[in-house]
Amino acid sequence: MHILQPIATTENCRYCLMCRHVCPVGYVTRSETLSPHGWGLTIASVRRGLLQWNRETSEVLFSCADCGLCRAHCATDQPLPDAIAAAREEVVELKQAPPAVYRIEQALQQWSNPYTQQQPWPVKQRGDVALFVGDAALFLWPSALEAAQLLLSAAGVQPVLVGAGRNNGYLASSLGLRSTAEALAQANLEDLQASGAGRLLVLTPGDYYTFSRLYEDRLGIAWPREIELVELVPFLAGQLEAGALRLRRSEDTSPYAYCDPTHSARVPGRDRAPRRLLATVLGQPGLELFWRGERAHPAGDTALQFTQPELADQLTLARLQDAANHGAFMLISEDPGSLAHLNRHASRFALKIQGLYELLARHLA
Amino acid sequence: MRQGIQGEMIRSELADVVGEEYISTEETDRLIYSTDWSWMPQMWLDRGERLATPDYIVHPASAEEISAILKIANTYRIPVIPWGGGSGTQGGTLPIYGGITVDTKRLDKIIAIDTQSLTVTAQAGINGAQLEWALNEHQLTLPHYPASANCATLGGYLAPRGSGTISTKYGKAEDMVLSMELVLPDGTIIRTPPVPNHASGPDFARLFLGSEGTFGIITEATMQIDYLPEVRLLHAVLFADLSNALEAGRRMMTRRLDPMVIRLYDPSSTASLVKEVLGYELEGVYMVIGFDGYEELATLQEQYAMEICLELGARDLGREPGERWWNHRYDFYFPPKSLQLPWMYGTVETLSTYNNLERIYHAKKQAIEETYAEWNARYIGHFSHWFHWGASLYDRFIIEQPPQDAHQALRLHNRIWTTAIRTSLEHGGMINEHHGVGLKLARYMRAQYGAAWPLLEAIKRTIDPNGIMNPGKLGFGIY
Repeated sequence: MHILQPIATTENCRYCLMCRHVCPVGYVTRSETLSPHGWGLTIASVRRGLLQWNRETSEVLFSCADCGLCRAHCATDQPLPDAIAAAREEVVELKQAPPAVYRIEQALQQWSNPYTQQQPWPVKQRGDVALFVGDAALFLWPSALEAAQLLLSAAGVQPVLVGAGRNNGYLASSLGLRSTAEALAQANLEDLQASGAGRLLVLTPGDYYTFSRLYEDRLGIAWPREIELVELVPFLAGQLEAGALRLRRSEDTSPYAYCDPTHSARVPGRDRAPRRLLATVLGQPGLELFWRGERAHPAGDTALQFTQPELADQLTLARLQDAANHGAFMLISEDPGSLAHLNRHASRFALKIQGLYELLARHLA
Repeated sequence: MRQGIQGEMIRSELADVVGEEYISTEETDRLIYSTDWSWMPQMWLDRGERLATPDYIVHPASAEEISAILKIANTYRIPVIPWGGGSGTQGGTLPIYGGITVDTKRLDKIIAIDTQSLTVTAQAGINGAQLEWALNEHQLTLPHYPASANCATLGGYLAPRGSGTISTKYGKAEDMVLSMELVLPDGTIIRTPPVPNHASGPDFARLFLGSEGTFGIITEATMQIDYLPEVRLLHAVLFADLSNALEAGRRMMTRRLDPMVIRLYDPSSTASLVKEVLGYELEGVYMVIGFDGYEELATLQEQYAMEICLELGARDLGREPGERWWNHRYDFYFPPKSLQLPWMYGTVETLSTYNNLERIYHAKKQAIEETYAEWNARYIGHFSHWFHWGASLYDRFIIEQPPQDAHQALRLHNRIWTTAIRTSLEHGGMINEHHGVGLKLARYMRAQYGAAWPLLEAIKRTIDPNGIMNPGKLGFGIY
């Protein structure tokens, strides 16, 4: 059963071109091969003996960003990213994956994150509400975490921190490291259980997707039904609307744009909340990027940053170019991973990268 | 595959033009670019057979780079296969003699949107859906809505003379083009006149529309665009038989009610596709009609159209089934809802004047279902692109259990196509309305054009003396 679904999916996708227009990798490379149809046909061709897994084909397979846009725009909901992850598992086992994959596997197994040699924090408290920290918020963009805690405190919520310093499992799953992904998922769930929380807040749509879909779809790990999963930005927008969170207007009137974070397409309908919050603080709607909302392209903060860093940079540069083309001075997002990647290249476009949580926290009334 | 020293020398020469990053001879790329959306190569690979592959895949970024590539191709007499979105259904981009596949997708810039003249000028490699989104930001639209818009390019709209969903009101892609920049086979870059409707000599620009890359490569086009309509009114009706439904469509067109769409499914499609994709279990002929523009005008047009339909015995199904069709009109092309392997299928669509239309339908249905009864061949169709004088019949054959051997399967496929095309021609139809000719229909071009065919051949030899451009396609063969 587990193996049949990826095969059926790639058989469906190998000749289908209907999501080409939203694929970010296809968009930056303009390559037929590096597109959903190209990945589907590559996998299907290996199955038929027309290609073999080797350095070249493996490079192609690991070029998918695993951003979910193809599936989000598929009229028949083909889980191609899951099928690609399943094919990567096979390639990893054959020892044909890009060398970076094995390095990341080691880092995740030893440190639970790919960024630094630090162990995750143990859960120290118990409470009704937990906040998943993950690795990027702790090691790449820590101000987001501090600001999120301030905002929650202002709304009367004191969350217990869980998963601090631990990857949510997406990265390992995306790279075809299934057992490592399972171990990370179990550890995160154990953290959550130790916290005693009945509600888990997450900082990004990537975390939301991973917990709500990926664990079950790819790892067969069901999300505990008794724990409500809530993305922080829509939660804050709800608190603002209910009067439980009060924000004051900024004096900054420079043109800004909101950059929907990586994996936004996987969480339909979440794009209005950040815009409502920003319009409240900045007094006007932002400039809209071309690749926005449910067609928002990712920045370079997917597994590509490790296996194909140049391609990851191309994705990041395309987001920045999109903002620059629209006349933005400030590009705002909440995802610590996206922010870190955008910030790395922002000076080339004279753009200021701003964390959403930090901006909101500075304007608490 | 061009191998050895010469192969590498040519590769280096091409890399000098486009940059090392934009040329590939990798095995995976060559396999992916060996097939397009046509059944033949897909089936071939499905059965584990190898296809002819391009020797080189290049990704130029300008007309000048394409010009330099074509000069190299002429020097070494190498075939050149232009590539847009790869969504062709006739094998028009198959590199059957190897050569250089020129992927145009890096030519993806919008050069200008003229909101006064209502035109957009864009490079030919731009993706159709992305171009449309960009126009929508200005409340504008390029009203060419083919099912392939998500993957096709602007150049791919024009090269095979494509039709979109609302062509009935807005015309085919070729009717929307004002001017083009082209690279001729010898590398000369030309521009067609700035407007099409002049009396300044022959309209040579139209030679390139439908030439499918055999006369050169389109690199830029200025297209007529429209304001997004205030409303789009969709409505569905059900007829008991095809004759009255066709007559209703004819009356709407000849009385110039200006519908944007008339989509008429034959009883077989109504019972199968409409049920599977839209979920309606209906017996008869399902017809969707649509009007757009100012609400008052569209409402009035729709009212007259409904009067015609009811007068001819239609049952009014209301708006919802029409709107549902509109919202899901491309779902028919997503697998597994679309026709797909291991089945055998072919879209043998045609176009004719009203006096021949129904005869062609019945003749083709009979010819295919009777001749290939041992294979349980099914024939389904719909009528979708309407003109003042006639309409297109988008018909398909389906065999659910075709031969497993790739060669046997292709031979059967070709026999059925021959049956279908001959029947179309015998009854006053064309060999194609909007999918183009490519490789699949190449062998029928002589029959289609008769004594006029040598003229087209002579033009081809004049424009492309070395025969480098997309050889084997459109019936021009190799020379």
